[in-house]
Amino acid sequence: MKALFYSFFLACVLPFGLFAAADSHGEITHTIEADLEHVEESLTEEAGKLQAIAGKFGVTWPTLIAQMVNFCLVAFALYKFAVKPIAATLDDRQQKIADGLQYAEEMKTQLAEAERERAEKAKQAAIDAQKILAEAREQSKEMIDVKTQEAASQAEAIIRKASEATELERQKMLSDVRQEVARLVVATSSKVLSRDLSDAEKSTFSESAAKELASAGN
Amino acid sequence: MKRDKKITQFAKKLVELSKDNGVVTEARVGEVLAGLKKSAHRNPLAVLKSFLVFLRREVALQTAVVSTPGALSEAALKAIAANYTAVYGRPVTAVTKIDASLIAGVRVRVGDDVYDASVAGRLKRLAENVH
Repeated sequence: MKALFYSFFLACVLPFGLFAAADSHGEITHTIEADLEHVEESLTEEAGKLQAIAGKFGVTWPTLIAQMVNFCLVAFALYKFAVKPIAATLDDRQQKIADGLQYAEEMKTQLAEAERERAEKAKQAAIDAQKILAEAREQSKEMIDVKTQEAASQAEAIIRKASEATELERQKMLSDVRQEVARLVVATSSKVLSRDLSDAEKSTFSESAAKELASAGN
Repeated sequence: MKRDKKITQFAKKLVELSKDNGVVTEARVGEVLAGLKKSAHRNPLAVLKSFLVFLRREVALQTAVVSTPGALSEAALKAIAANYTAVYGRPVTAVTKIDASLIAGVRVRVGDDVYDASVAGRLKRLAENVH
């Protein structure tokens, strides 16, 4: 912005410089005229040419002064009401842009930091997940082992109980068979004895049993 | 409940009064019943029922029921009565009861006690011992 302003200012001041250069050139010519006598005529001719050119282009001192005053006023007005607000606006915008760039840079830094933290957290999370997964696998393996052992023990218990139940059933069956055989033997013996024993034999046995009971308590 | 307890105690006393030298006799029972009739108890029916229960129990304790399939000699009955009199320490009389299911031998019952020397009983014990 400043470079633009200086370019504009130089462009505005350049005519004045040229005019001043032309004026100084006239003064030098007069000084050289005093020192160099032999070129006085040529200088006079050149001065006449310059005056002719100035007259031909209508350059006069009052007009030139008025134009200079006008230019200064215009330049001052432009500087005061156009260039200065524009420069201020441009400076403001430049400051905003700089702030924005700085903010963007900070955001970029923060974003990079956040990205780095996210990556670290993701890495840590992955490590934790792996750890948890390993623990879960280990626990599941232990649980499977325990459950397997429990299932095996339960199966053994079931088999043992089944064997015991079978054995008990077998014993009960044998006992039932024995009791049934005994009952049949007793029933048969009773019928046979009732039929085959004579009254005398029964009486003899009863007397003997009575004597047995009569002497039992003594 | 309190009345029942009193009636029970009264019936037991009546049973004790029915004994003559430790033996329940018919004569003493008649005297007790006559006395009870004169006393006009408030609840004579309950007293009589309790007296009957305890009297039957006492008679059962003093009687040896000898079950046998056939006739038994008088000497055997006396021997049994003498034996259980000595065993229980009270007078016990023996009565016979015909039971053909015993096949042979005797079975004696004194109160709640049973002494079995019959063929049927021995066969039954034999069957029970077979397992």
